[in-house]
Amino acid sequence: MSYIAVDGLDKRFTVRKKREKGILREKTVIHALQDVSFAVERGELVGYIGPNGAGKSTTVKILSGILTPDGGSVTVGGRVPWKERREHVRHIGVVFGQRSQLWWDVPILDSYSLLKDIYRIPENEYQRRLAQLTEALQLGDFLRTPLRLLSLGQRMRAELCGSLLHGPELLFLDEPTIGLDAVSKLALRDFLKEENRRNGTTILLTTHDMEDIAALCPRVMVLGHGKKLYDGALPELLSRYDTQRILTVRYEAEAGLPELPEGCAVTQEAGNYKITYAPEKMPTAQLISLLQSAGSIRELTAQPQNIDHLIAAMYREMDL
Amino acid sequence: MKAYFSVFRMRWRMELQYRGAVIGGVLCQMFFGLILIALYRALYATKPQAMPIESVATYVWLQQAFFRMLLASDADLLDKIRTGSIAYDLCRPLQLYGYYYVRVMAQKLLGSLLRATPMLVFAMLLPAGWGIQGPVSGPAFLLAVMGLLLGLLCVCALENITMGFTMRTLDSRGVQAMLNLMMMTLAGNILPLTLFPDSWQNAVTLLPYAQLLDAPIRLYTGQQPLSAAPHILAVQFVWTLLLTGLGLLLWRQNQKRLVIQGG
Repeated sequence: MSYIAVDGLDKRFTVRKKREKGILREKTVIHALQDVSFAVERGELVGYIGPNGAGKSTTVKILSGILTPDGGSVTVGGRVPWKERREHVRHIGVVFGQRSQLWWDVPILDSYSLLKDIYRIPENEYQRRLAQLTEALQLGDFLRTPLRLLSLGQRMRAELCGSLLHGPELLFLDEPTIGLDAVSKLALRDFLKEENRRNGTTILLTTHDMEDIAALCPRVMVLGHGKKLYDGALPELLSRYDTQRILTVRYEAEAGLPELPEGCAVTQEAGNYKITYAPEKMPTAQLISLLQSAGSIRELTAQPQNIDHLIAAMYREMDL
Repeated sequence: MKAYFSVFRMRWRMELQYRGAVIGGVLCQMFFGLILIALYRALYATKPQAMPIESVATYVWLQQAFFRMLLASDADLLDKIRTGSIAYDLCRPLQLYGYYYVRVMAQKLLGSLLRATPMLVFAMLLPAGWGIQGPVSGPAFLLAVMGLLLGLLCVCALENITMGFTMRTLDSRGVQAMLNLMMMTLAGNILPLTLFPDSWQNAVTLLPYAQLLDAPIRLYTGQQPLSAAPHILAVQFVWTLLLTGLGLLLWRQNQKRLVIQGG
């Protein structure tokens, strides 16, 4: 049996809305998850994506034992999360990117020592782990600083350390890179990869940052309107939507573009022409020779389309 | 078990982070204590009551010293419930009710000890009739301490019930305001319960609010003889049990229907 086995998961929420007229409210039932099934093996790194409100966080909350589903079955390492909550949570770590688990007013080191007692981590194991995490996440400078005085990036790293102290076999990351700068993001990704490689930690990552997924997750699941729409490798998923390329061209002298065939979109900024085209209809070599006929080219760059655009195209097509 | 003790240690550090608040609280409570005693002295000057003024002053000082024990509440916890950060606490291998109970208790106990110590020293230095008197006897003092601890358990249980309701309504103000009002009035903080009409006292002292401070203070001042102690402690105990049971039930229900909204 798989480490995480989810079968026919179902969750509904009741939302009360004010009626257009009058003071009465009406109840609507939102189907946050409908018949979602998947399996994850130990040591996998899985990205979980979907637009806002797709049901990603709901899934994470059910898997971490916080919410009780309305239907379906879930086991993580042989346990049903919401039934054996206390035993289950001992083995998992969670990072909710938008929330905080550390104590606001006290140095983060004190919060960690509370976590040590909560998870009953043996002293030497705790020291070893703390040293390891302090180094990897570069926490050394502010271990004795109260949380409220830390910057967002520092806080996120501190939170991550808090979630990993007890050496969880499964780690849920709910938008862990939200609001981080490029350096912190890259460091965090490296750290997660290393954690997965070294300790065999299974990681389930939900995020809106596609770069995170591309860098970390060989496997990705797409969720929309509470249903699972895709489960497989990211490049494969993207190749379906990755139909366009962008060519930016700059001429030596000011020259007008030649007449381009149908299906090519052109934008011009500061002497650069940006041409979006579909290589399938208009082979790149053909386009370039066409461009060369108009004058001598100083610069030419070809780019794939931005990953966010691809995802947007995918969400559009899936009607999300 | 160690985790629950750890919470105390954390709370202690947290209290020490805000030393200004402690000093402010102490000064404010001293001021209130003096004003109240002056008020009762004026009242006694025209119409003495059955209870001697020295006992009234003692009552007022003990109430003021342990004021922190009464007043709700741990804003942090309520914030967690409101913002959904409670999700993290649900991911801990702990019994949630117990965890929150201990947090509330640590806040009340450490917060009030930190404030009570300087205040009681101050009150001891005041002249008789203004200051605090010693306990009526050694055994009475021990029983009063026991009563105070039971009262602490009782008030924590009360507050956990408030928190249980906050989980449903997401806004603590209503339930909290009600609890605070009941506590201030019926625990004897505004007017010593010993000054209530006798027929009222019979009813009011049976309510849970009177178990918090009024019951131990009566043992301390000798308003209640030692022979009444078993009865008083039994009433406190029953309330503690009852309120804890009720809170546990409420929390268990809540956990089943819990929804953490957004993100």
